[in-house]
Amino acid sequence: MLTIENLTGGYGETDILTGINLTLEAGEILTVAGTNGAGKSTLAKAVVGLLPRVNGRVTLSGSDITRIPAEQRARAGIGYVPQTANVFAALTIVENLEVVEGVKDRKQRIVEMFDLFPALNERRRARAGSLSGGERQQLAFARALMTRPDVIVLDEPTAALSPIMADESFRRIRELARTGTAVLLIEQRARQALAISHRGAIMDSGKVALEGQADGLLADQRAAELYLGVGH
Amino acid sequence: MTGFAELLLSGVMSGLIIGLAGLAVTLVFGIARFSNAATGDTMTLGAYGALLGTTLTGSLIFGGLVGLLAGALAAVLSYVLVFRQLANRSPISSLLASIGLAFFVRAGLGLAFGHNQSVFQLDIVRPIRFLDLRIQPNDLKFAAIALVTLVIVFIILHMTPIGRRMRAVADNPLLARVSGIAPRPVMFTLWAMAGAVSAIAGIILGMKTVVSPEMGWDMLLPAFAAAVLGGIGHPVGAIVGGLVIGVAQELATPFVGFTYKIAVSFIVLLLVLLVRPRGMFGRVEGVR
Ligand SMILES: Nc1ncnc2c1ncn2[C@@H]1O[C@H](COP(=O)(O)OP(=O)(O)OP(=O)(O)O)[C@@H](O)[C@H]1O
Ligand SMILES: [Mg+2]
Repeated sequence: MLTIENLTGGYGETDILTGINLTLEAGEILTVAGTNGAGKSTLAKAVVGLLPRVNGRVTLSGSDITRIPAEQRARAGIGYVPQTANVFAALTIVENLEVVEGVKDRKQRIVEMFDLFPALNERRRARAGSLSGGERQQLAFARALMTRPDVIVLDEPTAALSPIMADESFRRIRELARTGTAVLLIEQRARQALAISHRGAIMDSGKVALEGQADGLLADQRAAELYLGVGH
Repeated sequence: MTGFAELLLSGVMSGLIIGLAGLAVTLVFGIARFSNAATGDTMTLGAYGALLGTTLTGSLIFGGLVGLLAGALAAVLSYVLVFRQLANRSPISSLLASIGLAFFVRAGLGLAFGHNQSVFQLDIVRPIRFLDLRIQPNDLKFAAIALVTLVIVFIILHMTPIGRRMRAVADNPLLARVSGIAPRPVMFTLWAMAGAVSAIAGIILGMKTVVSPEMGWDMLLPAFAAAVLGGIGHPVGAIVGGLVIGVAQELATPFVGFTYKIAVSFIVLLLVLLVRPRGMFGRVEGVR
């Protein structure tokens, strides 16, 4: 579904990403973990088309999208929930969904999103800027799902959430993957994320340091010590 | 008392013109993220366009439409030729370029039309008497045009898909792109709207007073002040800001004299910003 080959790139002169290779199949969840500043968000931006300078190749369902602008990638089926500023604060909830382009049968899709996130429906005329952290994250998720994406990139979707809401979020992500969506899940709660993932990758200084089956990584002593934190 | 009411009335009229110019400034600032110093000269261009159109067609209405289209077209061109090229640089480069563009437009208009003042041939109509107040029927028409303009801008921004996209881009341009919103149609619409609104301001000003190559440039600082006063990026705020400045200027004129009335707008601006740093209508968003 999504392949990333020899991806390098960054914001200015220096490469933040230094040779990334990853693949993601339909219905698969791939957790990307790693320390702060490892380049996880930068990788997400490279995939969705927001990184100013990239080399290498990104393909979606076999077609090269490396040079395609972000808005066309979004319409081609890449959904994205950024780590921060992931809703239009000045727009109402319903406007946040209506404004998305490249949606077939928009009205119907909005109804589906409100069925999926009933809390949003109750406040549909409220400005997104007035939402709580949890509601905001739901709206960000719903907005990214509007296009029925084949691949969704989630950048730390549970970072601002309470443990209970995080569990709820992981449950939704698993359900989404069951319907065939490929999920690139960047997470600080790496153990919990790996527990619902098929595969995992651990990034360090712009590279993939470790990659493998999720359960293998969870059992891996080295991964545990270096990146996942002991315990939990 | 009549004197006061008449000053108030004339303050409202100049306030509406300042407010429209401020509206153009605030639209561009909200989406393209810089203060467009060419706004005033787009007004002038609109006024000359209307003058030319009126002469050619013999109709003020058609003339006005010509001026409006000229303003919109000029603004779109300024985006395509200048501001789009600078979009990835700092806002300062766009601001400086807009100052250059302002000089360029003004010089061009001076060359084309000369530096003499021109006037619109409006029918002389007897003022309406309301209590002791004399009201020019044309002023009522101008006020109506200004308000209709504001309402149309509001409808476009809040009730049409392209307006929703414009507000999304204003709010968060990167999120807009990953939501599939192509920047180009949004920017074209923005510039066409800002140019048309500037032109309307210029046409009204030209009809109320005289048309000269400097007319718009002189309005630039009050227009910026109105935009800031209203809370930058807030369309209704810009009009209200313009009204506050226009009225304050006129009411102060008997005390400070004509020469210093511009200074009054800045005193008002300072006072309001001391109390409300984000302007009258600006609101502090929650953390995004
Ligand atoms: N907009 C930017 N411009 C320049 N450099 C940036 C930008 N964003 C991030 N960086 C740099 O890129 C590197 C990787 O940052 P990135 O945000 O990808 O890390 P991350 O793994 O997502 O970290 P975190 O866990 O804190 O979110 C860091 O050194 C950071 O300083
Ligand atoms: Mg990050």
